[in-house]
Amino acid sequence: MIDQFLNRNRSEISVVPRSSIAGRTLALLVAIMTFLSCVTFGAVYMVQNSAVAWSSEVGREITIQLQPVQGDEMTSNVRTAISLALDSPGVGSAKELTIEDSERLLAPWLGDEFDLEGFDLPRLVVVHLSDPRAFDRASLEEKLNQSLPDATIDSHKPWQQKLNAMSGTIVFSGLLALMLIMAATILAVIFATNGAMASNREIVDVLHFIGASDRYIAGAFQSRFFAIGLQGGIVGGAAALVFFILAGIITNYLLPSQNAEQVELLFGQFSLGWLGIIGLIIVVAIIAGLTSITSRITVHRFLAQVAP
Amino acid sequence: MIEFDNVGLHYGTGPEILRNLNFKIDPGSFHFLTGPSGAGKTSLLRLLLLSLRPTSGKLTMFDKDVAGLDKEAMMAMRQHIGIVFQEFRLLEHLTTFENVALPLAVRGEPEASYRSNVQELLDWVGLGHQINARPELLSGGEKQRAAIARAVIAKPELLLADEPTGNVDPELAERLLHLFVELNRMGTTIILATHELHLLDQFRFPRLQLQDGEVSIHD
Ligand SMILES: Nc1ncnc2c1ncn2[C@@H]1O[C@H](COP(=O)(O)OP(=O)(O)OP(=O)(O)O)[C@@H](O)[C@H]1O
Ligand SMILES: [Mg+2]
Repeated sequence: MIDQFLNRNRSEISVVPRSSIAGRTLALLVAIMTFLSCVTFGAVYMVQNSAVAWSSEVGREITIQLQPVQGDEMTSNVRTAISLALDSPGVGSAKELTIEDSERLLAPWLGDEFDLEGFDLPRLVVVHLSDPRAFDRASLEEKLNQSLPDATIDSHKPWQQKLNAMSGTIVFSGLLALMLIMAATILAVIFATNGAMASNREIVDVLHFIGASDRYIAGAFQSRFFAIGLQGGIVGGAAALVFFILAGIITNYLLPSQNAEQVELLFGQFSLGWLGIIGLIIVVAIIAGLTSITSRITVHRFLAQVAP
Repeated sequence: MIEFDNVGLHYGTGPEILRNLNFKIDPGSFHFLTGPSGAGKTSLLRLLLLSLRPTSGKLTMFDKDVAGLDKEAMMAMRQHIGIVFQEFRLLEHLTTFENVALPLAVRGEPEASYRSNVQELLDWVGLGHQINARPELLSGGEKQRAAIARAVIAKPELLLADEPTGNVDPELAERLLHLFVELNRMGTTIILATHELHLLDQFRFPRLQLQDGEVSIHD
């Protein structure tokens, strides 16, 4: 279909056979390479996206840790910490992390039956920042320490930095993989193009004998290779899209919701969004473009070598 | 139009297939090229098609020394030459119509401009009913006629034909020869290689006789 469209404006005769083994190999190869590139790109994009989201989420949260003391003093200490926090600029909300909350958080590791009641755990006040830039950590720390010398503030900065470093590494490796896949695509296209040209050598010779210029022959082969590359690219890109949709469905429905949450926490939501899909289309276009340029150069080099 | 000046030819390190060729082909002439199998008829035609270069001497075609032609000039010259190969060399994936129209298509002419011409020519050589058949479905004689049609469709100034009547019955052979004579009358220079001497007797055209690598002309 695509070749018909491409051929319509050239000449009505398709000088290069529509379906040859070499052509099918090339289409499959481009499809696979496009699929790999798209999956790599999608994974990188999702990791990057959720790392950014996560990082900004984590950056909006600090905790105040209060050393355990006996009896009612604990409760009043917690209240003091909450009100001090709420008085600080940039703070949206502050609330205590109760023992039940802690148990719920630790349940996946310690089991439902586990009872924290008997332990002297530090109490935590979770402070959510509405405006992290307006928040002044040092002044809150000072105020806290006047009445509660034991209190410490924990902002997840080190965590955040680690996370950024990790996602940075993943993104970098992904981009490296993407570049290697593209390089492999170029090499494979060179081989496939040379193979296709060699297997169509008789056509090239006959065309030369009846006076066809290299430009004409190259044009005929290039439009074939372009159609093949485009077909392969679209198939590979569509397969990658299906892959992401299926992966999203699987994480959403197959895993118990709690586990899915954790998977999502680690890998982000399995959805690309419009930006991601536009990114996939750009990847497909780059592969199709690379295939087209590579085969163009290879065809010209082949024609320059054959004796007319 | 064509001038051989002491032209010699050998393949690789092999023996000289052709040597001491000295003759001229005038525009509008008709020559038979004869000689036993292996005498070098196809080789001589390949020289004229520019697919081989002389290994010695000087070959001038269309007022140009072929030794000095670059690829582009060569292709431009080939657009004035029609060739019928001994082994036809039709493109297997194209129909008879497309094979015959190919020389016009590669010159960038739109199909609308040549459709009826190609149709007419195919009717004339008796291939009207096979217009959409691929070469594998054609008989030897039909392929030969398709190859001839392809060579003449673009009205070349020089027509080279290698055994163009080798695969057809004598009656059709005579008709095809009359086609070549007709083309010649309209101005095409023709060199036709054959070893079927009995066919030539009814035509009073000069013969280039190849023997032991050398050519002699018999008027
Ligand atoms: N590509 C080639 N490489 C080496 N030798 C060749 C090549 N083509 C032809 N020859 C040799 O050149 C000689 C002449 O061959 P050519 O094909 O020109 O003869 P011909 O007169 O056309 O014969 P025929 O009537 O059988 O077609 C032969 O001895 C052949 O072996
Ligand atoms: Mg021969």
